[in-house]
Amino acid sequence: MKKNLITIVIAAVLVVIFALLLFTFQVRQSEVAVLTTFGKPAANNIDQPNLYFKWPWPIQQVYRFDQRVQNFEDKYSENYTTNGDIILTSVYVGWRISDAKEFFPKFAGGSVEAAQRQLETMLRSAKAAVIGKHSLSDLVNSDPKQLKFEAIEDEIKTAVQNQLASQNYGISIEFLGIKKLGLPESVTQAVFDRMKSERQKYISEAQFQGEAEATRIRSAAERQAADVIANAQADATRIEGQGVAEAAKTLSVFQQNPELAIFQLQLQALKDSLNQKSTLIFDERTPPFSLFQNLPANSSTK
Amino acid sequence: MSDHDHHDHPLEMQDAGSQALAEALRSSFVIVKIAMAALLVLIFAAGFFTVGPQEKAVILRFGKPQGEGQQMLLGAGLHWSLPYPIDEVIRIPITEIQKVTSTVGWYATTPEMELAGTEPPPGPSLNPQMDGYVVTADRNIIHTRATVSYHIDDPRTAIFNFASGTNQQFTLAGVSNAVQNAVNEAIIFSAARFNVDDILTRDHAGFQEAVQQRVTDLAEREQLGVAIDRVEVTDTIPPRQLKDVFDQVTIARQNRDRLLNVALSKQNQILSEAGASAASITNAAESARTRYVTAIASDATAFTELLPKYTGNPNLFAQLELAKAMTQILTNVQDKIFLPQRADGKPRELRLQLNREPPQPKSAANP
Repeated sequence: MKKNLITIVIAAVLVVIFALLLFTFQVRQSEVAVLTTFGKPAANNIDQPNLYFKWPWPIQQVYRFDQRVQNFEDKYSENYTTNGDIILTSVYVGWRISDAKEFFPKFAGGSVEAAQRQLETMLRSAKAAVIGKHSLSDLVNSDPKQLKFEAIEDEIKTAVQNQLASQNYGISIEFLGIKKLGLPESVTQAVFDRMKSERQKYISEAQFQGEAEATRIRSAAERQAADVIANAQADATRIEGQGVAEAAKTLSVFQQNPELAIFQLQLQALKDSLNQKSTLIFDERTPPFSLFQNLPANSSTK
Repeated sequence: MSDHDHHDHPLEMQDAGSQALAEALRSSFVIVKIAMAALLVLIFAAGFFTVGPQEKAVILRFGKPQGEGQQMLLGAGLHWSLPYPIDEVIRIPITEIQKVTSTVGWYATTPEMELAGTEPPPGPSLNPQMDGYVVTADRNIIHTRATVSYHIDDPRTAIFNFASGTNQQFTLAGVSNAVQNAVNEAIIFSAARFNVDDILTRDHAGFQEAVQQRVTDLAEREQLGVAIDRVEVTDTIPPRQLKDVFDQVTIARQNRDRLLNVALSKQNQILSEAGASAASITNAAESARTRYVTAIASDATAFTELLPKYTGNPNLFAQLELAKAMTQILTNVQDKIFLPQRADGKPRELRLQLNREPPQPKSAANP
């Protein structure tokens, strides 16, 4: 009895393991699975990671797909803008299998590469259509109101999404952005020429500005200095005038005897004018030499 | 015999046979038990695994990552999981800080060339298939590149939501690629909003700020599960074809600034000199006023003192004063020429040579 129990337990364990292998399957995080019954896909995708039940092959079969975001970048390609300029763009697309049961019948073996080829075709027409409606100034502009960079990205994304939805590919676009933006090679040379002449303009502008501004500063300073001096001179005149006015109060003193006052002034003026380094020519009538008049002159006139 | 024996002594024989069989089974069951126990221990022990310093591990139980947020990531050390296929251990090469550099804004070169300091000579134009660049808002072409530092914020998204190539490996290559495209988009988008001089010189910080903002926005919008730590615009240069002329602009602008500085210091000098002379003019006026007023006052005082003497005998007073003055004058005067009256009383003819040479005073006089 005992040996039978052990045998049964072991057998049971083996059966359970075998049954589990046959009747269950795991879906990993990042995977989405489609369960087919006699080749017919189930209504729902299995997109949550867990352990699931199934009937063994050939009744039911599991198809697994990567439901992670795939990165796809299209070729750097030329498009005409609405003004006839040619620009080059490359976009990156984050896409994923959103509906595996729709996706896998449409692409052989659920191939990501096949899907990306499809995506590339759609992107090409979407880009041509969207860029053809815009000008280069919608893509590069210092005025944020006129810049339509994000709008253009959104338009391309919407155009691709619409195409995908109309044919029900089971693909969703998670994000789309412009990865590269450029000009045709011949245009870059023209841009260089324009940039060069622009730089030369800046060079002469800087030279002119420097000299003009320096002259302006200097002449303004000189004018200001002249103003300061003129003001100071005006002040000086006023101050001296104040002095005269102040002195005028004392004039009443001199009015007591104007003759004496005038005499004093003349005397002072005489002293001041005949200061050093002057030559005085006089005859005997000039006092005090008038004394000479009376001495030798008398003998000579005798 | 044996058949007969069996039939003859079935019980006895059975007893002996079953005993032997039981004995054999028992001993073999012991072996099986030991083997099973050993197997259990082995299975248990096989559940241990180590994680190295440059990687993290995630345990998938029935395909589902265990733990939430950062706890999902098992760091360096010893860990244990249930045996496959219940648990599956996946390892992700990961460092604390991830870095990616933009790929689209730089001319054709290789890391080896950059290390060696050599670069391909610039051609007359830029080949779109090889040379990267960005177009600025004023339609100039410049080269730029930026480096993003980020860390994994949400491992479930960053690790399990982005495919790396077509294989089923779990690495950060997928999300790293997405971040790289975000920074590529960000430099193109930001350059499209800035004028060339703002990016290169005037507002480089603003440009860097714009790129960082854009990368952060995109990481959030595209739900990359990463947090952007820093975006550094490492290089911004004009096209190498135009290096000379760009340098000349810089030199011309420096010259302009130098001229302005010279002018400004000249301005300071002129103004301070003017201030000084203005002060000296007013000071001179002040002192002249004081002198004048004081002189008049002292004259007045002297006048008041002299007045009584003068009124006593005006003529005598005048003569005395004049004589005193003459004494003083004659002391000071350099040349004194005395011309006595001619005997005949006629006036003398006197010739004065004006503008005489200073050292020949005598020639002035006519003896």
